[in-house]
Amino acid sequence: MTEIIANIAFWVFAIVALAGAFGTVMARRIFHNALFLVVALSSVAAIYVLLSADFLAAVQVLVYTGAIVILMLFAIMLTPQQVELPALAAGGQRLAAGVLSVVLFLLVTGVIYSSAWPLAARPLDQPTSMQIGAAMLTTYIFPFELASVLLVATMIGAILLARED
Amino acid sequence: MVGLQQFLILGAALFCVGMYGALAKRNVIAVLMAIELMLNGINVTLVAFNRYLQPPTGAASSLFAGQVFALFVIAVAAAEAAIGLAIVIAVYRLRRTVQVDELDMLRG
Repeated sequence: MTEIIANIAFWVFAIVALAGAFGTVMARRIFHNALFLVVALSSVAAIYVLLSADFLAAVQVLVYTGAIVILMLFAIMLTPQQVELPALAAGGQRLAAGVLSVVLFLLVTGVIYSSAWPLAARPLDQPTSMQIGAAMLTTYIFPFELASVLLVATMIGAILLARED
Repeated sequence: MVGLQQFLILGAALFCVGMYGALAKRNVIAVLMAIELMLNGINVTLVAFNRYLQPPTGAASSLFAGQVFALFVIAVAAAEAAIGLAIVIAVYRLRRTVQVDELDMLRG
């Protein structure tokens, strides 16, 4: 029973995520792009829950939809365009981008279906928060500290770049 | 029946839609949004690998290496979005435009 619900949930959230992704790249007004991005990112958080990544799903909602998209909305509102300009590039460039994306998708799908994945006997379904925390402070301590330095540098850089003078 | 391949295809689809947006959109902020979509596709792939593949056997690796990797991708994506948007605001102050075609000051 839970298997059936998990399958249905995956298809629902996958379709909603892809609809949000298509809306992000096809919508005309930039504000609608941001709203479609919220839909896509929240659906990806639901996909993480389906993959038993509970901590990552919470972080996705907090950081991506809760901070990054809000930051983008601020930037959208601080950069108003006087005239209503076309949203997508000229025809030739759009066609080339579309062909490239489709070709890449077909290539990757071919690789996915023709590879012999070393599957585990049973999928990994454990609570993750404590183990991720322990791993961050023992095995991955160096990238963790580097990420902290990166975020401080980002804060300083963003304040300096957007300063008014 | 939902297995590893379905999650990987979802990740690939998100990545390719994001790539189309990064190449075809004219507003710089829309390009940044498409880049966030690409990073999300990658994260879905990483977490799917973490769940379905055999755990890594090295000495310095954790059972949740895929999810820790995805966490670092999220952190770096946040940093990159913040800096990118600060640059957009600074450029808008200078040139009053955020269209990709008109920001060609570095072109020869």
